[in-house]
Amino acid sequence: MTDAIIVQNLSKRFRRYRPDRPWTLQEAVLGGLRRLRPLEEFWGLRDVSFTVPVGHVLGIVGANGSGKSTLLRLIGGVGRPDSGTVKLNGRIGALLDLGAGFHPDLTGRENVFVAGVVAGLTRRDVVERFDSIVAFAELEAFIDDPLRTYSTGMQMRLAFAVAVHVDPEILLIDEVLSVGDLGFQRKCLDRIADFKAHGCSILLVSHEASLVRELADEVLWLNGGRLVLRGKAAVVVDKYVDHVSAGAVQAGEGWNQASPLPAPAPISTGHSSPVPKMIASENRFGSLELEITGVRLVNGEGRPIDEFRSGNPLRVEIDFRAPRRILAPIFQVYIFRDDDMVCCDLNTEGTELKAAQVEGSGRVSLCLERFDLKGGRYYVDVGCYAQNWAYAYDYHSDLYPLPITGEGVETHPDPPHHWEISAGLRARPAVSELQPAGRRRIWRLV
Amino acid sequence: MTGLPATWPGRRTASLVYVRDLFRELIGRDMKLRYKRSVAGVAWTLLNPLAELGILFLIFGVVLPLDIPDYPAFLFTGILAYGWFQNSLHFATNAVVGNRELVRQPGFPILILPVVTVSTNLIHFLLALPILFALLFYSRIPITWAVIGLPLIIVLQFLFTLGLAYLVATFHVRFRDTQYLLRVLLQLTFYLTPVFYEPTAIPERYQILYRLNPMVFLVDGYRAVLIRGEFPRPGYTVITTLVAGAVLLAGLHVFRLASQRFVDEL
Repeated sequence: MTDAIIVQNLSKRFRRYRPDRPWTLQEAVLGGLRRLRPLEEFWGLRDVSFTVPVGHVLGIVGANGSGKSTLLRLIGGVGRPDSGTVKLNGRIGALLDLGAGFHPDLTGRENVFVAGVVAGLTRRDVVERFDSIVAFAELEAFIDDPLRTYSTGMQMRLAFAVAVHVDPEILLIDEVLSVGDLGFQRKCLDRIADFKAHGCSILLVSHEASLVRELADEVLWLNGGRLVLRGKAAVVVDKYVDHVSAGAVQAGEGWNQASPLPAPAPISTGHSSPVPKMIASENRFGSLELEITGVRLVNGEGRPIDEFRSGNPLRVEIDFRAPRRILAPIFQVYIFRDDDMVCCDLNTEGTELKAAQVEGSGRVSLCLERFDLKGGRYYVDVGCYAQNWAYAYDYHSDLYPLPITGEGVETHPDPPHHWEISAGLRARPAVSELQPAGRRRIWRLV
Repeated sequence: MTGLPATWPGRRTASLVYVRDLFRELIGRDMKLRYKRSVAGVAWTLLNPLAELGILFLIFGVVLPLDIPDYPAFLFTGILAYGWFQNSLHFATNAVVGNRELVRQPGFPILILPVVTVSTNLIHFLLALPILFALLFYSRIPITWAVIGLPLIIVLQFLFTLGLAYLVATFHVRFRDTQYLLRVLLQLTFYLTPVFYEPTAIPERYQILYRLNPMVFLVDGYRAVLIRGEFPRPGYTVITTLVAGAVLLAGLHVFRLASQRFVDEL
């Protein structure tokens, strides 16, 4: 399968200017050129990599200002990234700014022609599709009236109708599906499903979690311009919704600051563990400030398992290396069935790691005292996240198969388990260390 | 799905047909918009220069006579040529700032925007040309073979104006008072261009400096081919072509560099 979109290490820096930044030459001359300099810079998008295979729908979720629209625009070739590349295979269509080129004083008909050509059609294309566009917008009776006599809903319908008649091979959609009444929305969704069925690759940004869940194959979760999580739609959307409803977003303030992070090492080199075909941004992603260097699935005696018999103990051992000190990382283990259903989702929140710092090499093990999934083919994903799930340090997806035999349950959300943190880990109480950690501790006591 | 797998960005490698259609629609939009809600419509294109002709003729033909033969035709040539130049630059300030949503459209060739502005004003210039020919006819000035030089001068003026339009459009994105500054500059250049006087009226020692302004060559060039029935001097034509070309290249370069930041600045 070929990829329609390949995004590699995409970063975009924004500048924040003083509120009194001169916007006129007069002010600039009178007020001194000093104020022209940006106050600070921040990353609107930081080292985002992913690929979208042909015919796939990739949903993008995240809070406001997390970089979703910036990402779509950069993929659309609008603006220039500060680093990284975007490769596209196919004709691109966009539902970003609906009604680009519309003018209230022109008639609906004139606007369809201008907007159609601006969106990438030739005049002949527009002539051929004109009736279909007008019918889609349900505006046959008004098409020769000036656009300013239309209601907002009518204008949006016309804009959307033009946009979906471009026949793109890659479609970028940004929060525009809430156009018109419910009937029209249904029609838009059907149209998008239609695009997908014809092999169009779609990037979909929406705040409506249910919509993303329904339409997307995979979902990317952005926060503060970084990739937090990427995976199956249901998993990521649920995680995102949990995260938002837990109010954790507030706790993660400061994500936007350009923190002095080391550049991530090339993801494919320097990797000693015998991990099968690890491919950056396909089955592995993250900032790599902390690297997962090895993952082993072992039985109660500590011997590696080829096949797990339901009802026995299971250990997931995660070796990691943190070149610099890292505060309160979160380790996570997911167990999936091969049809992508989540059967088990456990993490180290609530363990001593919550208030610890790690540096150097170490090992974290998930010990399931008894695991009772029913026989079948399963996968284990492991990940490590920054404090408060701000973004991923390292995530390995679909790399570790776990065949299970025997009888058991369909899902096993909370098997008896504990975490062991061992082998060289320097976990220390945070209170004696850095200021922010101290403050945290106090806050927790209150 | 239609369309061949084009290389990205799809439309930048797109066919000439597409660029032509885009160009046509954008010019059509500009033309329609400028006159959509006015009673007189496109007649304004003609009324404006005619009013200016009346005023300047009153001053320099009657009150302070400059004694230039066939003065109405002489004046109108200058007014049309300078009007095209002035209006192009005036509207160029809005070429990028006024088209925010087009600039943000994936794959939209931003380079086309100033071209559309200058072309729209070229159309107004061409629409007023019949009046000029009527004036020539009225003054019994014969049309000679030299008139085949007219397209050359129009092309030269187009390229020179386009170069400046790129600069003006770029500058206005950053400094939104560019249009006021421009108005003052255009007033100055109005007097530095031989619209209502003969270029020979400028003192000899300033002549070389004065003639470096391509508008001097252009306005005089229109008069040469239409009124005096002679071709512009080849050497002077070459120099003006070089200056206009340099301005265009500079404008294009600045515009391209800055255009990567347009989205962030709009």
